Amino acid sequence: MKSEVNNFIINIATANGTGSQSSNLILLHSMFEMGIPVSGKNLFPSNISGLPTWFIIRASESGYQAPGDKTNIQILMNKDTWEKDIAKIEPGAIIIYNENVKLPVEREDCKIFSMPMTKMARGIAPKFAKLMANMYYVGGIAHILGIKSEDIEKSVSSQFKGKDRAIEMNMRAIREGISYAAEHWGNETTFSAERRDKDPDTYLIEGNEASALGSIYGGVNMLAWYPITPSSSVAEGIIKWLPELRTAKDGGTTCAVIQAEDELAAVGMVLGAGWAGGRGMTCTSGPGISLMSEFIGLSYFAEVPGVIWDVNRVGPSTGLPTRTQQGDLSMLYEASHGDTQHIVLIPGNVDECFEFGWRAFDYAERYQTMVFGFSDLDLGMNRWPTTGFVYPDSPMDRGKVIHTQKQLDAIENYGRYRDVDGDGIAYRTLPGSGIDPILYRGTGHDEDGIYSEEPDVYHKNMARLRKKIEGSRDVLPAPILREEEIKEVGIVFYGSMEYTITEIDDILEQSGLSVSTCRVRALPYHSDLEGFIDRHETNIVLEMNRDGQLYGILRRELPVKLLSKLHSLAYSDGMPPRARLYADKILQLLEGL
Amino acid sequence: MTILKLNVLNLDKSEYKGGKSSLCPGCGHDQVSNVIIQAAWENGLPPEGIAKMSGIGCSSKTPAYFLGKSHGFNTVHGRMPSVTTGANMINKDLSFIAVSGDGDTASIGIGQFIHAIRRNIDMVYIIENNGVYGLTKGQYSATVEKGSKKKKGAINEQNPIDLCAMALNLGCSFVARSFSGSKKQLTALLRAAMSHKGMAIIDVISPCVTFANNDESYRSYNYVKENDEVLHLVDYISHFSPLEEIDIPEGQYREIELFDGSKIVLETIGSSHDTSNIVSALRAVHEAESQNKHVTGLLYYNGEMPTTTDALGLTGTPLSQLSEEEGRPTFESLNLINNRLRGL
Repeated sequence: MKSEVNNFIINIATANGTGSQSSNLILLHSMFEMGIPVSGKNLFPSNISGLPTWFIIRASESGYQAPGDKTNIQILMNKDTWEKDIAKIEPGAIIIYNENVKLPVEREDCKIFSMPMTKMARGIAPKFAKLMANMYYVGGIAHILGIKSEDIEKSVSSQFKGKDRAIEMNMRAIREGISYAAEHWGNETTFSAERRDKDPDTYLIEGNEASALGSIYGGVNMLAWYPITPSSSVAEGIIKWLPELRTAKDGGTTCAVIQAEDELAAVGMVLGAGWAGGRGMTCTSGPGISLMSEFIGLSYFAEVPGVIWDVNRVGPSTGLPTRTQQGDLSMLYEASHGDTQHIVLIPGNVDECFEFGWRAFDYAERYQTMVFGFSDLDLGMNRWPTTGFVYPDSPMDRGKVIHTQKQLDAIENYGRYRDVDGDGIAYRTLPGSGIDPILYRGTGHDEDGIYSEEPDVYHKNMARLRKKIEGSRDVLPAPILREEEIKEVGIVFYGSMEYTITEIDDILEQSGLSVSTCRVRALPYHSDLEGFIDRHETNIVLEMNRDGQLYGILRRELPVKLLSKLHSLAYSDGMPPRARLYADKILQLLEGL
Repeated sequence: MTILKLNVLNLDKSEYKGGKSSLCPGCGHDQVSNVIIQAAWENGLPPEGIAKMSGIGCSSKTPAYFLGKSHGFNTVHGRMPSVTTGANMINKDLSFIAVSGDGDTASIGIGQFIHAIRRNIDMVYIIENNGVYGLTKGQYSATVEKGSKKKKGAINEQNPIDLCAMALNLGCSFVARSFSGSKKQLTALLRAAMSHKGMAIIDVISPCVTFANNDESYRSYNYVKENDEVLHLVDYISHFSPLEEIDIPEGQYREIELFDGSKIVLETIGSSHDTSNIVSALRAVHEAESQNKHVTGLLYYNGEMPTTTDALGLTGTPLSQLSEEEGRPTFESLNLINNRLRGL
């Protein structure tokens, strides 16, 4: 039988905290370095150690990055999920298991291979046998796929950078695993990994680290944060890179980092930073945004710049803290009481995590308001390919800030909240300058910033605020349109669904449909979106939540004539999107129209 | 011809005034505002270098009534400390004068109060403490004494929070208590607080004339006047005019040099109080409390504690004044990072 080359899905079932993450990343990076189009996905529990974890590696010649629908190679290491894992395996799959778990594997319809992984690991490192056992399945998989130990060495070295003894021991375990499999499992050729020409520019990086680097290149001056999965690694990324990138000539840092007592304090510090003329940010997830909402309203109303990165996890409430969703979008767009509207940047890949990381500060200062980066656990905490981040193509936009009395005097009829330019954006002065010193407030204020409850003053101010944010629509990142000649079905989507959309599109086109896609990259949405919807017969807003949050926003804001063309497909179960599942749901929806 | 009295910056006191107060006539808070104006003027603080911070409540409205030439931020309820912290990180050269109340600090804002103390944020934190929520019409706050009875309504059955005791336990670097009716003492303490680098807390008993000025209230004018346990007489000598004339009465006195070179002179009356000893400060607070009195004066002072901006090792220039080159790493640095991540 001909071998399936570079098209397979590996599912590795382990327990959290057993050190399997190193083994999994070594496998992923080894294949990536071989030029195989590969993606990895960590499905982890909200727990420090003991609960089940799965790591999915998918190789796909078509470049598909979603976890895929069925497993070809199943690794069994976790006794707690043993039976459930076995029951889920589809006929014909390869099963590799650790025989020291001492549980049976009874599946006559699968190819079953075993290895005494823990026992062999004890031979190398008796104290760390449990950790080291994971390196033996790396060896087993390498044998099954025909990967040579030399192809793994580089990844092991970078995983255990500088720890020579760890590199040596882990490589020894992997080699022993390969030899054992060769000796006991025979020649298995169903799936194979073949070297391809790798673009030397590509590397893998997590979305959160990309956002962190982007923020640093955006000139962040203050990071205030409170730990929360899945956003903590944004802060940790900033902390890691600051010493190298943001140490001034006098040896001091140009960015203050404060671990706050809670999210309310974190966002309060962001407002303080923005008010004082700096670039402040925080990073959080849904529960944090809920807590921050009051301050977000203050930012909107008193017009103080700031940046919040929301790495979405599953809500409501504590929800599924280690699973992914696009469930915060409508909350971000309208956070806080009263009428508000916030700018939301929605990266769809790691390159945009970097780019929107620095752009967020420019928008925040230009529009003097809170700007959100909206990522999710899938994008933020998994490693994705990039060909390298692109340096900011424009200087920092610090917005309308008056630094001298002369500048102020040149403005006719100046007032902190007076729209002298007609774009809804007023000029501001900074504390310490002594120029137009006013008391910023969250209470009603007139154009000079003086307390006011006058009906006309309030109404006019709110109208200006709407005008100001409306003005950002076509300045913010435009949607990415991929249009077919026959404008049959248009799919409007956003965020990390980007990594699955090609596969969904391919499945839909196999059923004879002509499918165009439009990836929304910011709210308020860009006017290009209206043209896209208008050109297509039927449009589906595809998103990973229950209620169709973008759909709801579009229904309210799109011209009424377009609404009959718009349909919602919203589905969320906490898992990263699987192409087949979403494609089937789209087909069902279309049938029912 | 009018003769103007000018301070060290040649500024008249009017340069430090603010808008007209909208608080109740006779409110203790207005007296505190006047003291803030007086102290800032006497200390010769440049108005543009001051940032006025507040939360929500009667007290938090007052920044509109003083220092009209300084920027200010009337933030949200109980969260002024975090906004001040962020602003302090971005511009460490600003002099932060914050006003809060007992509702704003002891209830909704207790967490931020605690953590701002732990960080030793460089600010003056004035609590205008009257034991009631004024703007919402007189509910008890968390600082009111147990058994307190308002003109109308039920008796308070809960134990009070003593904000000075709390600040002392948290290791606050400057802790004082005063009374809005003791203008001389409050002015000296506030001037000293302005000269301190780090968190300076002044808990000012400031009677609410509308809701809690009945004689049974421990925070009424009459009660405080009669039950003020004065620790020491306080005088302030500014660094720029050390010859300023002050009365140094007979008896023991202690002189403390502050961060900017100014001095505070404490003249002991009764038992001597050691301001460098947290335990004796706590004892003074609790002993007074046990006799239903208010101890006033400088309870504790430590000029050696690093502030957050020191501890973080910020660059010398305030971050708000950095150039683009100082804020954004170079093109080459990103190339280097890309290549390193590529494994090249």
